[in-house]
Amino acid sequence: MTIGTTGRTEAIESRGNPGAVARPRVGGSVGTVEIAEVGTMTYRSRLTEALAAGWRYGGTHVAAGGDRVRTLLTAPGGATLLLGVPVEGGKVPTVVDLAPAACWDEREAADLHGIGFIGHAPLRSLVDHGDLGRWTVPVAGTDLCQVAVGPIHAGVIESGHFRFHLVGDRILHLDARLFYKHRGLERAAEGSTLDRGAAYVARACGACAVANGVAYAHACEQVLGLVPTPALSRARTLLLELERLWSHLNDVAAICAGVGLAAGNTRFAGFTERARRVNAELSGHRFLFGTVRVGGNDLVADGGQVRAVRAALDALRVEVTSGWRELMFNASFQDRLPGAGVVATEAARRLGTVGPAARAAGLAEDVRTASPRLHYPGFRPVVPDRATGDVRARLEQRGLELWQTFDLLDGLLDRPVEPATAERGAPPGPIGVGRVESPRGATTCVVESDGARVTRLRLRTGSYANWPSVAAAAPGNLLVDFPLINKSFELCYACADR
Amino acid sequence: MFALLRDLRHLRRSLALPPPDRGRSLAVRHVDAGSCNGCEHELTLTASPFCDLARFGLGIVASPRHADVLLVSGAVTRRMREPLLTAYAAMPEPRRVAALGDCALGREVLGMPDDLAGPVEDLLPVDLRIPGCPPPPDAIAEALLGLVDGRQGPTLIR
Ligand code: SF4
Repeated sequence: MTIGTTGRTEAIESRGNPGAVARPRVGGSVGTVEIAEVGTMTYRSRLTEALAAGWRYGGTHVAAGGDRVRTLLTAPGGATLLLGVPVEGGKVPTVVDLAPAACWDEREAADLHGIGFIGHAPLRSLVDHGDLGRWTVPVAGTDLCQVAVGPIHAGVIESGHFRFHLVGDRILHLDARLFYKHRGLERAAEGSTLDRGAAYVARACGACAVANGVAYAHACEQVLGLVPTPALSRARTLLLELERLWSHLNDVAAICAGVGLAAGNTRFAGFTERARRVNAELSGHRFLFGTVRVGGNDLVADGGQVRAVRAALDALRVEVTSGWRELMFNASFQDRLPGAGVVATEAARRLGTVGPAARAAGLAEDVRTASPRLHYPGFRPVVPDRATGDVRARLEQRGLELWQTFDLLDGLLDRPVEPATAERGAPPGPIGVGRVESPRGATTCVVESDGARVTRLRLRTGSYANWPSVAAAAPGNLLVDFPLINKSFELCYACADR
Repeated sequence: MFALLRDLRHLRRSLALPPPDRGRSLAVRHVDAGSCNGCEHELTLTASPFCDLARFGLGIVASPRHADVLLVSGAVTRRMREPLLTAYAAMPEPRRVAALGDCALGREVLGMPDDLAGPVEDLLPVDLRIPGCPPPPDAIAEALLGLVDGRQGPTLIR
């Protein structure tokens, strides 16, 4: 691939038949959630039907009060359905055999809420660390050895533990033990007002502060029956794309670091710095902290500021293009990428992979195609020509999305940014679901509320969804390639651990 | 590749970074004790061409056994308490501890008390405080350079 938007785009709305399972209620055009309380007997059959009709698994959480477990399903067109099943005798039926992406959700619910999942065996611990035997998969054989890495890593990396099972240098299996950084943010947020709850979501992750914040704001606004005005949609979309810009530039730098290409790493680190300075110029904060709140937006940028930001981004784009071309024509760099850390289409679908990693595997799915509360008119996800699901494809995907984001930003910066609000326009409800395409993929925030306070908060970020894919990408590769594979996903630990 | 190096040289010149004027060095080991990842992202950019901390003899080393300074970010979680103390115990003396960011300083920490082990100060003797949420790369650099010079680190309130 050279430069520019050479990837093909695909429409995905036509897939599946959402109406066969559930029709969104009035207000579906701005994304309200259908809540279906089902019995223990019908929970699995309803889920099977929905998955067969093209709906995707979107997360499982324990409802406020702990007497129900709810599983989220999303249709390609953006409709959302929450299937609630009562907890009986401390247990509910598992769905992990129907939707393997439910694995972490169920393990987390077991550790944090003491819920049992009938049929999920062995139910390994996830948040609870306990003994080695409780969370590792037993691997046996001759010439086998284990390499334990972390929680403290050699570079400037977040804390988490990886246990590799190897024969020689080749990885047979990887157990990732995260949640060293679990701060109990979701539980701590319970009881706070909807406004105040935003602080807990923001603290979950600095790299996805805007994406998580907007997902939370959307969920709360659904609870309150509020709909963003066009000005609010535009302001939030601008913030989301600015976050994606620095994040993708950082990812390219990280992939260069993963193969030890110092020149590429340094150059893209410089671009990342410039993108963060743009953020500071526009919002007063390099990571856009404090720019998203429930019910409105206070970001102000007059014509002069907007023009200055646009000019800075134009200049950045020219240099990023040149830096990208260097990478594409650097043979020793390119040589390391193909075939490393493959997550192919079928695996990605099964594991529930999201974001650039899913698109690099050929799944043209992007929440931005169905984000009626944001400003993405006519958005089409882009996928690389060779969607091979390896490190090369994930790098190429970042490039394609960078040009797309530069284009979106250029369009969004054609007018001043003014304070904006969300207004009454949809029926209020007890549960809100916000979905946003973060730089790492679909991020879902579920807020259960009594109308004023948060009674339950669940944040299922793109990183959380993709960690099992990182573990699945490792087997068959050499141990020395793992840093590169890991960097090609560049997931947050903070987002997953919360 | 040559074009890339040439561009980097241009960038270096255009930024007019002061020449290295210190004859000493400082080896830093970073420990994320439960951050939001913001502090890590800023620390990473101390190596960008805009800051290039390495030219002052400051480097991130892979092991606490090679480190002069333990740079800790994040509110210390219950699960990171042991690894943090182990890393500190592995350091040779003399050793210093720097707390990076408001969380590490115990400011406005959010979470469940059960899951948190308290600010760094409650667990280790903190020599250098780098406030900010997150502190930008230049502030991190300036604070760490204070240690190279043997000064008590400046308090950077921005
Ligand atoms: S100080 Fe701020 S940026 Fe640093 S870890 Fe804490 S919340 Fe994140």
